[in-house]
Amino acid sequence: MDRVSFEVLEGEFVAIVGPSGCGKSTVLNMIGGLVTPSAGAALVDGVPVKGAAPARVGYVFQKDTVFPWRSVARNIALGLEYRGVAAAERLRRVREAVTLAGLDGFEEAFPATLSGGMRQRVALMRTLVVDPEILLMDEPFGALDTHTKLTLHAELLALWEARRQTVIFVTHDLSEAITLADRIVVMTRRPGRVKLVHEVKLPRPREVIALRESDEYAREYGRLWHVLGEEFAASEALR
Amino acid sequence: MTERTRVTLWRVAILVALLGAWEWLTGIKAISRMPGLYWIDPFFISRPSEIARRFVYLTSGEVRLSLWQMALSTVQSTVWGFAVGVSTGFAAGLVLGRHDRLARVFEPYIVAFNSLPRIALVPLVTMIFGFGLLAKVVLAWTIVFFIVFFNTFQGARAVDADLVHSARFLGAGERQILRTVIVPSALAWTFAALTPSISFALIGVVVGELLGGESGGGLGYLITQSLGTLNAADMMVALVSLGLIGIVMALGIKQLERRLLRWRPEHRSERA
Repeated sequence: MDRVSFEVLEGEFVAIVGPSGCGKSTVLNMIGGLVTPSAGAALVDGVPVKGAAPARVGYVFQKDTVFPWRSVARNIALGLEYRGVAAAERLRRVREAVTLAGLDGFEEAFPATLSGGMRQRVALMRTLVVDPEILLMDEPFGALDTHTKLTLHAELLALWEARRQTVIFVTHDLSEAITLADRIVVMTRRPGRVKLVHEVKLPRPREVIALRESDEYAREYGRLWHVLGEEFAASEALR
Repeated sequence: MTERTRVTLWRVAILVALLGAWEWLTGIKAISRMPGLYWIDPFFISRPSEIARRFVYLTSGEVRLSLWQMALSTVQSTVWGFAVGVSTGFAAGLVLGRHDRLARVFEPYIVAFNSLPRIALVPLVTMIFGFGLLAKVVLAWTIVFFIVFFNTFQGARAVDADLVHSARFLGAGERQILRTVIVPSALAWTFAALTPSISFALIGVVVGELLGGESGGGLGYLITQSLGTLNAADMMVALVSLGLIGIVMALGIKQLERRLLRWRPEHRSERA
């Protein structure tokens, strides 16, 4: 990566897109403190990030990180448990989260019995239940089929509309970025740089399916695809 | 007939056939009116009927040291050796598994001690701890510790870094990470070591008993005693008892494993 610089405002939903290997996940990991930049810094509220997992930051990984030895309810309760939230309060908030994620009836199920989409819902609710101000998401829906993905887009948007956390969402799926984000940071192929910061001028609240059929969506997609397509083609040629 | 009953029936049939053949073959005389000359001599391998007779006698109140007492002594020592070995092996595996430098420092010692044939330690252990329960527990421990240690060590190293990260992002401190991520994740590996561990604990104990004499007690003592009196039937009683003890203990571990690791898909399908 080279001279990557961009700002994210409070309560904003920003997506980072770029060809694979461009360092978009690394940017996220720097903000999350999992990777220390060799030069420069990631600032949260003007303070440089030091050490892993700053408080108030939630992280949803691309990989399935639901604890396989814990039931759905006990997975969602993890963050509350770590923070020493009293059992009664914990139960109440977990129940709320379970309903919100449409996981009713699966509270006692172990992750091995759930589909990928349900597991990722658990991971999302587990992060949201502790109410982080900043939510980092690293291709959280990358491994899911299109239908499940769209459902989860709608659910994520609804949850976000209610809380308005600051979200930084890494993806290589352009349509996903347009559907979700206020602004899109387009990165170039390796060495990754910020090629363009694009503002998505689609009204909110967005309706995931209807949005895709609208002319505005097609226009946004066309414009971005043109920019990003160059990078994808170039990064393919390098292989 | 279900597959299960079919398998059970075959098992029983094989047992009956073996016992029957044993009983029958050791009853045929080589030369008909000559006493004591057999094709297969029951002096060496005894006969099922004789073993059963001795079993009844040894469990009766007529003997000074009943079979029950001896079995109890063996089981007690085994359980203790197993418990101490598993807990120390688990703790050591966890610590060294999470501390690279410590692991590197201790590696040659562990490898050296582990490659030592444990039976060679018996005289030394006897010198230090005498012939009783303690010596047997120590012998079992020297074997079980390493089996559990190596597995837990691997397990603690194989912990998924992303699980640790996600715990940290959810607000976990180091001790909470240990409790909620590393221990449960390593436990799956530790459990794989438990079934061999219980068998090896039994080996350690019986080896101790073979040398321990009466003060050590146990089924191993019954074996040496039977050797002294050239009594194959009593020896068989001891061997069969040891086999049964081994089976029961292994089944107990399986049950425990099924409960504690019920989150694993392979246990789920087993239950279904």
